[in-house]
Amino acid sequence: MNLPTPLPQRLARRTDLVKRLRKLVDDGGLIHRDEDLVVYECDGLSAYRQAPLAVALPTSAQQVCDILRTCGDLDIPIVPWGAGTGLSGGALPLADGIVLSLARMNRILHVDIDDRAVTVEPGVTNISVTHAVTGHGFYYAPDPSSQIACTIGGNIAENSGGVHCLKYGTTTNNLLGLQLVMADGHIVDIGSAAMERAGYDLLALFTGSEGLLGIITQATLRILPKPQSARALMAAFDTIAAAGGAVADIIGAGIIPAGMEIMDRLSIEAVEQFLGCGYPLGVESLLLVEVDGPEAEVDAQIAAVQDLVRAAGCTEIRQADSPEERQRLWAGRKAAFPAMGRLSPDYYCMDGTIPRGRLPEVLERTSVLSEAYGLRVANVFHAGDGNLHPLVLYDSNVEGELERAEELGAEILKLCVEVGGVLSGEHGIGVEKRDLMPCQLSDDDLDLQEELKRAFDPGLLLNPGKVYPALRTCAEGRMHVHGGRLPFPDLERF
Amino acid sequence: MKAPLRPADVSQVVECVRDADGAGLALRAGGTKDRLGRATSATTDVDLSALSGIVTYEPEELILIARPATSLVEVEELLAQNGQHLAFEPPQWGPAATLGGTLGVGASGPRRFVAGAARDFVLGMEFVDGLGRVIRTGGRVVKNVTGYDLWRSLVGAYGTLGVMTEICLKLWPLPETQQTLAVSGQTRTDALAQMYAWSRRPEAVTGLAYSDGTLLARIEGSTAAIEPQIKALWQDASAGEILADTESRRCWERLREAGALTAARGEVLYRIVVPPSRAEETVVALERMELCRCCLDWAGGLLWAVLPRNCPPARVHTAATEAGGMAARLSQGPEDPNDEAFTPLPEGVARLNTTLRQTIDPQGRFNPGRLYN
Repeated sequence: MNLPTPLPQRLARRTDLVKRLRKLVDDGGLIHRDEDLVVYECDGLSAYRQAPLAVALPTSAQQVCDILRTCGDLDIPIVPWGAGTGLSGGALPLADGIVLSLARMNRILHVDIDDRAVTVEPGVTNISVTHAVTGHGFYYAPDPSSQIACTIGGNIAENSGGVHCLKYGTTTNNLLGLQLVMADGHIVDIGSAAMERAGYDLLALFTGSEGLLGIITQATLRILPKPQSARALMAAFDTIAAAGGAVADIIGAGIIPAGMEIMDRLSIEAVEQFLGCGYPLGVESLLLVEVDGPEAEVDAQIAAVQDLVRAAGCTEIRQADSPEERQRLWAGRKAAFPAMGRLSPDYYCMDGTIPRGRLPEVLERTSVLSEAYGLRVANVFHAGDGNLHPLVLYDSNVEGELERAEELGAEILKLCVEVGGVLSGEHGIGVEKRDLMPCQLSDDDLDLQEELKRAFDPGLLLNPGKVYPALRTCAEGRMHVHGGRLPFPDLERF
Repeated sequence: MKAPLRPADVSQVVECVRDADGAGLALRAGGTKDRLGRATSATTDVDLSALSGIVTYEPEELILIARPATSLVEVEELLAQNGQHLAFEPPQWGPAATLGGTLGVGASGPRRFVAGAARDFVLGMEFVDGLGRVIRTGGRVVKNVTGYDLWRSLVGAYGTLGVMTEICLKLWPLPETQQTLAVSGQTRTDALAQMYAWSRRPEAVTGLAYSDGTLLARIEGSTAAIEPQIKALWQDASAGEILADTESRRCWERLREAGALTAARGEVLYRIVVPPSRAEETVVALERMELCRCCLDWAGGLLWAVLPRNCPPARVHTAATEAGGMAARLSQGPEDPNDEAFTPLPEGVARLNTTLRQTIDPQGRFNPGRLYN
């Protein structure tokens, strides 16, 4: 993986850059001493580190615009930064660029319940949006696992998901308006609390564009009334295929659960050792299903789900009716990532999405690959939306094991694409999967996307080196965790 | 006018695009959405009717992949047989409606305010761009962050960004049944207040409209579950009549098809989308233009307004813009070039629209003039 080579003439402009940026922001708005820049060396993909020239922390769209114009004058690249929790290196700094942190733009601007909309600045954390409207009986649906720390700006840049995407969609389905500062420094407002916009659907284009097209300075989000009721159950199966069959039966019966998760034997054992949350041992897979909605509907649906999982051959059912019981059921699933630390010094997390029905086949072929590479793979699966997180277990102290883990990971992602899926469901491409893009997209597809990038950012100053490969070969990406130490170890990862 | 081209597959679409002259291509299939948008200046008609048929239907995966000229009515019938539907409740405006046309204008029906819009139910697409390249964007899965979501930008683009050749749609279970509470004799102000209140409730309220002095609230779900919910609304309103399944369906079909209404002689129909909380001020502004009649949908977020023909469209567009929304004037027939169909875009947004268009279709081959000039 190579980032664009730093240009000496840009490095030489550092003093001038700092001098000019200082005039644009207040005292707390600029970080430029080497020792202070360490904090910004990496995002959640800590395998790659690079200090930027400086970090600018604007407090208004006008300041963002001024900073972009200054960087444009000096030909300095800009890497936008929310909370730095992303897992694909999308916010990895460039040696000859600045980091533009939106963290200080963190106000909730309007809550309009009649419009079922909230307007916020980009540095607001995901969970704060829900906190701001919970008193009105509302919530913000996308719930990436890092929601206590990750920001709305970052969520929009990555089109973040969570565990409820089948029913409630991802960020793009919950966004009504944006304010952006374009590479040329123009401020543009797109959309409002209205449910349609005139002209092209630019929101769709900018959501998930990983900071390559513009800087988000404001967002209007759709909020939803909190469901009246929610109930969950856990079912154990002798085979993964049987659990997958139950998922198809539930959806076939016209039920769209709010969340539906499958864990395999290795994940269950890891979680049980880690947390002792009472999951049954010795079973091949566990299916967790949560339904929400009007009370009478939820009661009928959870009863139907019970019948369906029984008919699909489950060996044990546990039902959670109270919120506390429900939380207990989910606790294990949510601890799946940290629990891997008990099984292995390192793990490497993948993020492909597959058509739900191909799960048994993909897991079967993954286990063949796992044997061939001599590395264990634990699987947790957002069964509702087809997002698979295989965790390749390895030990970086064993010579060559890291490389084998990366190769195995790339094979798994290629397998996801082969069965009709995609390279990334929610973590983004960033630098991590950038070089795998040609496995999924044709030259024409990539050409058009890169033409769009050049059209919106002719100077190629916004987050260059991310998403689109420099060389169009299908290489491997990498994201690994050493000693169970993720950056932000206290964040839930699921 | 030349004889229309009739491409039968993707490679023939590519040929049409590569051979196109400077005047551009007018893309057509069912023709049911002609009243929306402006007239294109293209002189070569491309009849896409032959690009029809379902490629894959996988009910358990909740997806359907079809070619663009596939009949909307046929798709909905097939889905209904399998207990599924298109949750964005697309208006048809005639039996010839196609999937491609529906997505081309981004048409969403009454359920939009809770279920999402047309663009939310498209998971991926194959299309031919202005250089004649076959582009595949998105996929067949709900969660996908691999590159830009280009396909969504084609939804609502009025065929000005490319020729769709294959579409993957997300399907949803068809609710078992529905009932509607109809409260007549309501003032608009009271009806709006009630709509806002009901749109906050956790019940499965999937329709909130106001038409002819009647407030309408729809509940969908299983038979057992909707009874207590509709009763709760009825108690809340302390009035109203409950429409059972068939009658309720008919009522919402009528609302869904409001755009097919022909305004009387001397009148023009507008479709106006504003933030729901701005509905009242928008209607008041329209009343100053001698509004003939209007109905509200999407809990106040969508207005169908009939205005006198001599009312300058610019005034309607201004009223919509001032309320933070947009308006579309529906044309009155083939002789109406409908230059003022859409609310003009603010300068910055217009520039981004142009950039997007010029990148995907650099020569402006597709439906030139159909969306904006």
